[in-house]
Amino acid sequence: MARPPQQRSAAQRGATRQAHSAKQKPAWRAQGFDFKLYLRQHQAFLIESLTRLLGHPLASAMTIMVIAISLSLPGGLFVLLKNVQSVTDRWEQQSVISLYLFSQLEDTEALSLSHQLSSRADVLSVEYISKEEGLRYFEQSSGYEQIMSTLPENPLPIVLKVIPKAIVDLNTLPDLQALRDHLQSLPQVEYAQLDAEWLQRLATMISFGERFVYAISALLVIAVLLIVGNTIRMAVESRRDEVLVMKLVGATNSYIRRPFLYMGFWFGVLGGLFASICILMLSWWVSSPAEQLIELYHAGFELQSFNAVEIIMCLTISAVIGVFGSWVAVSRHIRDIELQ
Amino acid sequence: MEIEFQRVGKKYESGHDALSQVSFHLRQGEMAFLTGHSGAGKSTLMKLIMMIERQTTGTILVDGVDLRTLGKHAIPYHRRRVGVVFQNHQLLFDRSVFHNVALPLQVSGADDGQTGKRVRAALDKVGLLGKEKLNPMALSGGEQQRIGIARAVVNKPQLLLADEPTGNLDPRLSAEIMNLFQEFNRVGVTVMVASHDLALVARMRHRVLTLNQGRMVNDGGFA
Repeated sequence: MARPPQQRSAAQRGATRQAHSAKQKPAWRAQGFDFKLYLRQHQAFLIESLTRLLGHPLASAMTIMVIAISLSLPGGLFVLLKNVQSVTDRWEQQSVISLYLFSQLEDTEALSLSHQLSSRADVLSVEYISKEEGLRYFEQSSGYEQIMSTLPENPLPIVLKVIPKAIVDLNTLPDLQALRDHLQSLPQVEYAQLDAEWLQRLATMISFGERFVYAISALLVIAVLLIVGNTIRMAVESRRDEVLVMKLVGATNSYIRRPFLYMGFWFGVLGGLFASICILMLSWWVSSPAEQLIELYHAGFELQSFNAVEIIMCLTISAVIGVFGSWVAVSRHIRDIELQ
Repeated sequence: MEIEFQRVGKKYESGHDALSQVSFHLRQGEMAFLTGHSGAGKSTLMKLIMMIERQTTGTILVDGVDLRTLGKHAIPYHRRRVGVVFQNHQLLFDRSVFHNVALPLQVSGADDGQTGKRVRAALDKVGLLGKEKLNPMALSGGEQQRIGIARAVVNKPQLLLADEPTGNLDPRLSAEIMNLFQEFNRVGVTVMVASHDLALVARMRHRVLTLNQGRMVNDGGFA
C-alpha cells in the first residue's frame, strides 16, 4: 500500500521531530503524573489483594496463623518484661547507705562528718549510731550478749545511716550506686554499703531478659519475613501467565509488584492482629494467678496487658515486616519472569 | 509508527544465528507480511521490535529512535505504543473477556469510564460486543483470537504486530482475521503480520518480507 511521496516525507519529518523531542525528554517521562488516579489504583489493589487472600481462606489462614504465633511469642515476653518493670517501679522503698567508719575515728570527727553529709542535696537525713548504740542493737537482735560481754572492748565501729532523697528503683539505682561509691571514697569511711542488693540483681536479670527478648524477636521477625516471602513467591509463581501478559502490554515492574506488596501488607496486618488477640487472651488467662502471686508481696498492683498504643505498634511493625518480606521476594521473582 | 532495521543480527547464547544482516524499512501506515519457514526468524524479528530480545548487531530505529538508547525503564512505555497478537501469550482464563481486553488500559493507568468505552469499542470492531461478560474459555478458537486482537488494539497503538494470528484457524476464519488487520491498517495503523500461510498472504496483496534462515531473501512484491 504505497503512499504519495509528500505524505511519506511528512511522516518522516514528524518522526524525526519526535525523535528529537524524545532525546530531550524520554517519552515515558513526558506523561503527566495523575495523583488521584494513582491513589485510586492503590485503593483498588488494596481491595483486590484482600479479596484474593480471602479467595483461598485455608491457605491464607494458615500463613496468617503462623505469622501470628511467631509474633505473639516476642509480644508475650514484652508484656512479661513490662510487668516485672512496673512491679519494681512501684516498690517505693527508701534506700539506706550504711557507712562503717574506721574504728580509730573520734566521736567528734564522726559527728562532723554526719553533719556534713546531711547538708548534701541528695541526702534526706543521716542517722548517727554510736559504738554503744551499735552494741545495744547487736545484743538485742543477735542474742550474743554473753559473748559480747567477754570481749575486752566494744569491737563495733561508728555507723552512719545515710538516707538518700531518691527512692530506690531501677531508674535511680545508678545514681545511688554513684553516691555509694563517692561515700566509700571518703577517708573516714572504711566501708559503704548500699542496701539494694536485691534490686541490683533484678536489674541484671531484667537487662538479661531484655536481651533475650530482643534476640528471640529478631529470630522470629526473620522467620516471619521468610514465611511471607515464600508465600508471596508462590503467589507470583501461580500468576506467572498474568505477569507475562502484563509485561507484554507494557506494565512496569512496580505496577506488577504492587498487588503482591499489598498481599504482604494484609498478611502482616492480619498476622499482627491475631498475635495481639493471642497476647490479650494469654494475659487474661494468667492474670488471676499472677495477681494472687503479686499480692503476696505487694498490694495495689494491677497486671498490665497490651494497651491500645502497643496494639497499634504491633500492627504497624507486622505490616512493615509483611510488605518488606514480600518486596524482597517479589522484586527478585518478577525480574526473573521474562518474556521469551 | 515507522520501523527501520539496519543490518540487524541476533545471535543467541547457544551460538545460533537467528537473524543476520536484516535490513528493511516499514513506513508509517504501511502493512506488510513476514513469511518464511518455521525457525526462519520471524518471531525473533518481532521480539526485537517489542524489546523482548535485544539485537546483537545493527541498528533498529522506531520512529527514528534507536532502540539501543532506551533503557530498561523505558521498555514498558515503548510496549504500550505497540499492539501485539502473540500466539503463546494469549488470554487469561481467570477473568472475563472484558477484563482481558481492559488489561493494557489498566496497566497504563486509564480511568474506569474511559476503559469501559474503549474496551467496548475494541470488542465492537472484532464483533464480540455481546460477549464481554463471558469467560474466554466459553468462546471458540476464532473468537479467542479476536479477543487477543481487541486487546492489542484497545490502546490505539501506532503499530500492530501479529505472530501467526491464523495459526490454527480454518481458511474462512483466517481470512476474516486478516481482513480485520487490513481494516486497522486503513485507519493509519502500521501493521506487520507474520504468517506461513503463503496462499492467504498472496491473496491479501500487500508488501511481503521473506526470511530464510535468518536472512531477508525477498522484500517487496507480492509473494
